[in-house]
Amino acid sequence: MSAPGDPAGVDAALRRLGASQGRQYWRSLEELFETAEFRRRIAAEFPALARMPTDIDRRSFFQCLAAAVALAGLDGCERRADEDAYPLVLADRDSQPGMVRHYATAWELDGVGQPVVGTCRDGRPIKLEGNPDHPASGGKTDAFTQAALLGLYDPARSGGPLRDGAPATWDGFGAVALAAREWFDASGGTGFALLTGPVQSPTLLRQIAGMRARWPGMAWHVHAPMAEGPAALDGMPPLDTIDVLVCLDADPLGNGPLQTWHAQGWSARRRAFQQGDGAARLLVAEPTPTLTGVTAEARLIAPHSRIAALAAALGARLGVAEGASQPLDAKERAWIEQATDALQASRGRGLLCVGPQHGPELRMLGSRINASLGNQAVASRSRPQPSGDLAALHRAIGLGGVHTLLILDSNPCYASPDAAGFTAALKRVPLTIHAGLHHDETGQACRWHLPLAHLLESWSDVCCADGSAGLVQPLVRPFLDVRTRHQVLALLTDGEVPAHDLVRQTWPGDEVQWQSRLLKGFVAEAAIPPAEPTASVAAPRSAAPQPGDALEIVFRPDPTVHDGAFASNPWLQEMPKPLTKLTWDNAVHIAPALAEELGIANEDLVEVSAAGRSIVGPAWIVPGQHARTVLLHLGYGRRAGGPVALGSGFDAYPLRSPSSLWARGDGTLRKLSGTRALACTQTHWALGGHDWIRTVDAPGEALPRKEEQKSFFPPQPREKPENGASPPPAWGMAIDLDLCIGCNACAVACVAENNVPMVGREQVAKGREMHWLRIDRYYEGTPDEPRQSFQPVPCMHCEDAPCETGCPVNATVHSPDGLNLQVYNRCIGTRTCSAYCPYKVRRFNWLDYTREAAPALVAQRNPDVTVRDRGVMEKCTYCIQRIAEARIAADKEGRPIADGEVVTACQQACPTQAIVFGDLTQADSAVGKRKASGRDYALLEDANTRPRTTYGAKIEGGGKGAG
Amino acid sequence: MSRNATYRRVTREVVTISTRFPAPRMWWAMFAVSLALFGLLLVSVVVLFARGPGVWGNNIPVGWGFPICNYIWWIGIGHAGTLISAMLLLLNQSWRNSLNRFAEAMTLFALTCGGLYPILHLGRPWYFYWMAPYPNTMDVWPQFKSPLTWDFFAVLTYLLVSLLFWYIGIVPDLASARDRARKRRWQVFFGVLALGWRGQGRHWLRWKQAYTITAAIAVPLVVSVHSEISMLFAAGPIPGWNSTVFPAYFVLGAAFSGFAVVTIIAVVLRHMLKLEDLVTERHLDLLGRMTLATGMMTAYGYVMEAFDALYAGGYELDTLQDRYGGYYAWSYWGALLFNFVPLQLLWWRRWRVSPIPVFLIALSVVVGMWMERFMLLVTTLYRDWLDSSVNLYHPTFWDWSLFIGFIGLFCCELLLFVRFLPVISAFEIKEDLADG
Repeated sequence: MSAPGDPAGVDAALRRLGASQGRQYWRSLEELFETAEFRRRIAAEFPALARMPTDIDRRSFFQCLAAAVALAGLDGCERRADEDAYPLVLADRDSQPGMVRHYATAWELDGVGQPVVGTCRDGRPIKLEGNPDHPASGGKTDAFTQAALLGLYDPARSGGPLRDGAPATWDGFGAVALAAREWFDASGGTGFALLTGPVQSPTLLRQIAGMRARWPGMAWHVHAPMAEGPAALDGMPPLDTIDVLVCLDADPLGNGPLQTWHAQGWSARRRAFQQGDGAARLLVAEPTPTLTGVTAEARLIAPHSRIAALAAALGARLGVAEGASQPLDAKERAWIEQATDALQASRGRGLLCVGPQHGPELRMLGSRINASLGNQAVASRSRPQPSGDLAALHRAIGLGGVHTLLILDSNPCYASPDAAGFTAALKRVPLTIHAGLHHDETGQACRWHLPLAHLLESWSDVCCADGSAGLVQPLVRPFLDVRTRHQVLALLTDGEVPAHDLVRQTWPGDEVQWQSRLLKGFVAEAAIPPAEPTASVAAPRSAAPQPGDALEIVFRPDPTVHDGAFASNPWLQEMPKPLTKLTWDNAVHIAPALAEELGIANEDLVEVSAAGRSIVGPAWIVPGQHARTVLLHLGYGRRAGGPVALGSGFDAYPLRSPSSLWARGDGTLRKLSGTRALACTQTHWALGGHDWIRTVDAPGEALPRKEEQKSFFPPQPREKPENGASPPPAWGMAIDLDLCIGCNACAVACVAENNVPMVGREQVAKGREMHWLRIDRYYEGTPDEPRQSFQPVPCMHCEDAPCETGCPVNATVHSPDGLNLQVYNRCIGTRTCSAYCPYKVRRFNWLDYTREAAPALVAQRNPDVTVRDRGVMEKCTYCIQRIAEARIAADKEGRPIADGEVVTACQQACPTQAIVFGDLTQADSAVGKRKASGRDYALLEDANTRPRTTYGAKIEGGGKGAG
Repeated sequence: MSRNATYRRVTREVVTISTRFPAPRMWWAMFAVSLALFGLLLVSVVVLFARGPGVWGNNIPVGWGFPICNYIWWIGIGHAGTLISAMLLLLNQSWRNSLNRFAEAMTLFALTCGGLYPILHLGRPWYFYWMAPYPNTMDVWPQFKSPLTWDFFAVLTYLLVSLLFWYIGIVPDLASARDRARKRRWQVFFGVLALGWRGQGRHWLRWKQAYTITAAIAVPLVVSVHSEISMLFAAGPIPGWNSTVFPAYFVLGAAFSGFAVVTIIAVVLRHMLKLEDLVTERHLDLLGRMTLATGMMTAYGYVMEAFDALYAGGYELDTLQDRYGGYYAWSYWGALLFNFVPLQLLWWRRWRVSPIPVFLIALSVVVGMWMERFMLLVTTLYRDWLDSSVNLYHPTFWDWSLFIGFIGLFCCELLLFVRFLPVISAFEIKEDLADG
């Protein structure tokens, strides 16, 4: 080792150069002189490289290469699920190419199980649907569940254990675990801490209970960055029994782990109301628009800090006195009156729901009001009490009381208010182990990083929103060198145990019972028992109202990337957020009034500060937000976790106060110079007097009929049925805007089913997103208090389709069953069809969006749907591959296709059953009934295209006396 | 001067241009610039083919951008050549003889630019021939209801007829050039092109028949081609396009922009090749009148379009208001300003015959007509029916480079023509002199 300035070093270097045969390249003087500083830099930059033996010659390199190729071949067999997984449909066990298998399984979000049925083709999971037999799903899913499949194939997932950032082996970790186990056994586990997310999995709970029994000195901490976890369910009955739902800053229909459950229940009630059965009223008071709020018939814009006062006023009017009530303004009083009247009118069938971010006192008041009205309540479920939360762990580390820390599937170094402090604190723990899907912020801060298996390739179990347990069986054998979460815990307690056995042990019963449970995917009889209500762990408190001009900052999980866990999922990143239609970024949401006051326009950079901390982000003006409220979405600004996750948005976690996670009253906002461009998919949203969204006042009311216009188009030639065969079906779709909550489940389902490519922020900003199904959002009324509506827009499959007239090469044509077809290999890309389309539902492959996809992502694609090349037009096909499948099945049996046999991907996912698809020639089909309703209307009747997709008008209000 | 001496002078002036070019420096300077722009075109096309139409600013809803806008603009420019040559030939307007040759050439070159654009614009340009009705194993024909299919036929026909008409017209002059060429290579060059023309009476008879018939075919094509192109817009059920005024509006606008380009070329050539005695003030005067007339007819189209929208109301009216005050209002007001304001000077003969003002006015018209094409395309598409699909269109560097590159190609072609072929119909001028 010698420095560049040292003449001896120069000589040595020159000698080395002279002695080498052939050319020798060097990158810098430091490398030439092989200085210690250069080696340090290399080690810091590429830890793995630093460890590599330096003297690999050509011969041994080729030896390694040959061995690697040979070994890779060993692994090249088809990856099917474990032999012990049981397909739902018991078919011939002999696998045939192209064979489809369905497995009932589940995955989990924030500790809440989402029961699904996974479709596997040739051993590759290609689609998730809700488990129709499971009460918590009913066959429906949300956007997260649809996109969970892509998480399985995420090329950024970590593929093997890492020790100090360098590749390691499971055996290596096994040795560490063995040493730790012996130590814990000796010491009783003192100094060992386990950090998890919210846990409801029976096997995980069993394992943790076992560990705590064996090592009483250990501590189990739970880090739950999101409020809408299992605890949010406490006291919530299923919404299908609720005639009047009053939400105080609660968002049961919003994107989150409980959305499918609540949306299904609400929709069941709403559909009964549409048939004239009872009421389905929804009243919401909230600071910033949510999916529940914009669906409500009466929405009061109230800041976070007023929610307590509103609850007290409600209580006072309903005879549940709670101290001195604060004075209310006129709007608040009107809303309170409306809410109390509605609640009183349906005693026993109403519900007051207080947002889970509002602390136990307010939630308790809510339960008391509900009890006084005789509303049914569901007892809280029993949950084992952890030792503490993240803050307690942080304190324990500070006191030097933790020497071994296992972080299981949690990311506290990102998703916590004091992530930087916690990351620094981790350095003081001698042994830190992170087990997770990605080598994320926490993985990088820990000594060991263990790659977890995705739940869809794991044996596990979950607890679902309805309290039933769901079994998780793998859809595929893991692609990577990973272990399930149960195996990771078992490594500490027992060593390597097969994943299946760990789950099997949890569930009593013989093999026959076990198999039948696996087939169904859940354990019907084993609902988790209710328990005595206990005070929640760290009780978050409402922000105290601050004097003066301070703004209230409200934090919410992002509707697409949630707490940041989905930041590396492009399907979700590119999914427009329901209310802002932004993609790939979060923004500082401000009210129009505040924007005007401070002279802020969309995309202007602003600085939000509170208590000495600040974040900088682009502003976005959100009509219907409280004037003094600033909303920040969590989950962006990731610092690790894969290339897709990086470079999106800003991190809002640091601004949260540990004592009040969901709101704080001491914020200030300052406009900075400069802007940051955001990719928004809908920049105009005023209805402006147009009748794109229509409404009626009551369920039975019909829209005024417009006179049918003359058309120059000849009638579509319907195929002549031969030999007395039945006429071909006429496919059509009906979308009930009264049921649509704008949740995006349909749009992500469409992406998953139809191999829709994701194009990235820049392309979306240019107006080139590829979604076949978009959800339009319109405002009516004033910007301060608008009414908002959602309208999913797939291809209308017009009978008189202008696109078909425009295409010069017959690439878009009409099928006998009324579909407007797009023939990709005939398309030359003139884009006339799109220019002529009044609905602009067509999407064009401007660049090559598909050929460069990572091999892992290619494996996810649906083999029944063509992957489109550069330069061709594409659009919604009504899931023609599903129609074909049903037709083939029906033809084989020589019968017509039954109603409900063809289910489009969007329809299947929709948790509110707003979308119905079927044959219009059958008058008694579900879609036929919808179209016969007086609320049915065609979008843009003026264009006279006679669309096959029609809409159901919204019903203003939700029952008698609704305003 | 005797008649023969005059004939000789005309011949010398025209056919010796190629062999002893009067302004070589100026030519080389202009050619170098044009060639550089043509190089830019090649680069743009390579980038386009390598990466796809996404290099442009097009999006959904503005799926058509510069390529279609420029296509219409180029083809429109081309029409003036045909009108001057063929229509005025049929009408026996002998003043055309000084202008027709280069006007026809201009038509041809504008058509090559305009004709390539729609092919480059395709998502998969290598399949452009699927628009042609040819027997194929796929047993698929073009879709005959589509205006694009007819566009394809129309432009192809127009290109062939224009080429024929121009070539037939130039043959006698090529023969005179051949006869006067001193150097062997010029003799061979013009000899091959002259197709053995010997000036026999029978040659003249056949020539006259062919020329008149081609002219008779060419004139209606002007109307049909641009009407057909207007159908590209008018056939779509899009507010702002779906109007019966479009065919007439487009044809007149095309002639308007074409006369402007002929004026520009006439002024430049007249100066560069010292042809003041062949392209006289009278010609500038007549060109100015034609430009003024077609310009005012185009203005009438603007009025009718507004009337249509006011009469129809609803979405049509929304689009009209959007043109007046929307994001792309500059293109509407720009079109009005550049097309019609300087044009008013042409009411006075004094302005019509002064080359530099006429040149500037014509230039303004060319810019204005381009803005009109842009306005009709973009203001309509970016906001059509549903406000939810509104999206702005921003041309990118590659949009502009392709456009400028095509201008380079046009100038290259024109300069090569000027350099190597007789730019003015010498024999027709002589015929005119003899008759006159």
